[in-house]
Amino acid sequence: MLPLLLLLLAAAHGLQEVTYEPTLAQGDLGGRITGSTFVLEQPRCAFDNSTIQPTTSIWLVVADAAASVSFTNSVQPGMPEWAFQSFPANTSAYLTLNATLLNYPCPKDPKEITVLRVGSETSCAKEMSRPTCNGPLPSPGTYKVKFLALNGFEPVAETKWSKPIELKTARQPPSGPGAGGKHSADMIAITSILSILLAVLLAGLVATLAFCGSDPCGRGGIFKPEVASVRRYTTHHVYDQPAARL
Amino acid sequence: MAKTENGVRIFQGLLILGNVVIGMCGIALTAECIYFVSDPHGLYPLLEATENDDIYAAAWIGIFVGFALLALSILGIIAVIKSNRTLLLVYIILMLITFAFEMASCITAATHRDFLTPNLFLKQMLERYQKPDAGNNNDKWMSEGVTKTWDKLMLQNQCCGVQGPSDWQEYTSAFRMTYSDADFPWPHNCCVLDSRGSPINLDGCKLGVPGFYKSNGCYAAISGPMNRQAWGVAWFGFAILCWTFFVLLGTMFYWSRIEY
Repeated sequence: MLPLLLLLLAAAHGLQEVTYEPTLAQGDLGGRITGSTFVLEQPRCAFDNSTIQPTTSIWLVVADAAASVSFTNSVQPGMPEWAFQSFPANTSAYLTLNATLLNYPCPKDPKEITVLRVGSETSCAKEMSRPTCNGPLPSPGTYKVKFLALNGFEPVAETKWSKPIELKTARQPPSGPGAGGKHSADMIAITSILSILLAVLLAGLVATLAFCGSDPCGRGGIFKPEVASVRRYTTHHVYDQPAARL
Repeated sequence: MAKTENGVRIFQGLLILGNVVIGMCGIALTAECIYFVSDPHGLYPLLEATENDDIYAAAWIGIFVGFALLALSILGIIAVIKSNRTLLLVYIILMLITFAFEMASCITAATHRDFLTPNLFLKQMLERYQKPDAGNNNDKWMSEGVTKTWDKLMLQNQCCGVQGPSDWQEYTSAFRMTYSDADFPWPHNCCVLDSRGSPINLDGCKLGVPGFYKSNGCYAAISGPMNRQAWGVAWFGFAILCWTFFVLLGTMFYWSRIEY
C-alpha cells in the first residue's frame, strides 16, 4: 500500500527521474578540469519533450559530493540560500546555468563541441545580486552535479547525480634544478683527454728545455739549411774595352 | 746530405701546413663564437636569470682564443722558415698558454650544458613569468627579461610552457597570483593568435580545444639552440686542440734539433 502511495505522490508531483548521468566533456580538451573550473557535456537528448515544456528552466545543481545525499529538490533558485556566493560556507549546493530545452536540441550534431563550462564567470563571483552566477569553484574538493528541470519552483524532472568530480590542486614548483647532479659522458671525455694532452705537452716542453736547452740534440747542425748556402761574391768581369771595338 | 736536406724541407713543410690549418681554424672559431655571443635566438635573458651564463663566457673566451691562434700561427710559420730558436721558443710558450685558455673554454661549455635541465627552466618560468613588481631593481629586471623572452618564444615557436600548457595547471606560479585560473588557465600567448595579436577563439582557447591553443612545450625550442652552442664551442675547440697538440709536439722536436 505504501509503495503505491509513494508512486502516486511522485506522479502527482510529476517529478520524472531520467536515466541520464552528467559526464565530463568528451574529446581531447586540455582544459577539461582546471584548478577552479570543469567542463560538462550538455544534456542533449536527456529530457523527454512531452514532460518538459518550452518554458521549463533546466538548472545545473552543483553540490559538495558529501552533501549530495541530503539534497532535496525543494529548491528556490535566486534565493540567497541557494546562491553561488553562499557556497560552500552557508549552503551545500547551488544552482546555475539556467537554460531551456531549446538550448539543448536533440539530436546532437556529432561535429559540434557541445559543452558547459562550470566556473567561467568571474565578474559576478562576489556579487550577491547575482545568486545564480556561474562563478569559479572555491576549492578543489570533490563535487557532484545533476540537472534539474523546474517549472517556477516546482521540480519537473531531474537527471542522476554525476560521478564525483575532483579539480586540480597546484603543487610547488620543482626544487633543485639538478645542478651538477649528472655529468654527461661527453664532458668527462673532453676534460680527461684535454688534461692528458696538456700534461704531455708541458712534460715535453720541460724535457726539451732540460736536455736540449743549450746544445741541439741528436745530430747537430743539420737543421740549419742556411749554413750550407753559398755566399755571394762578385766575379771578376772583363769590362768592354772601348778600344777593342774600334 | 741531400736526403736529410729533403727530410728537413718536408718536416718544415708539415709544420707550416699544421700552422696554416691552425690559423684557419682560429678564424672559424672566432666566427662561430661571435655568432653565438650575438644570441640570434634571444635566449640570453633566460640564462642570465639563472645567474649562471657560463656558456656565454666560454664563447667569449673562444673569440679571443681564435684571434690568438691566428696570430700565433703566422708567428709559427715565420719562425719555422727562419729556423730561429728564440722565435720558436716564444711561439711554443704562447701556444701553450692559448691551449690552456681554450681548454678552459671547452670544459666550461661542456660542464654548464649539463646544468641546463627542463626543471631549471620550468622553475624559472613559474617563479618569474609575469611576476609583479618585486623588491630590488635587479630582480625586477630579470623578471622582465624572462617575461619578454617567454612571450616571444611562445609567439614564434607556437608553443606553451616548458613541457606543455599543463605546467600552468599543475604548479603554482607568479602568473597564477595575478591572473585567476578561470579567466586564464594559461597565459594569453598560449592561445593561437591572429595577425593582430588577439586569440582566434578565446573560449576555445580556455577550453583547451586543439587548434585554438598551443599544446606542445617550448623545451625543444630552448634546448636546441643551447645544445648547439655548447657542443659547437666544446667539440670544435676540442678538435682544434687535438690538432694543435701534434703541431706543438712537432715544433718542440724541430726546436730541439736546430742550433743557434
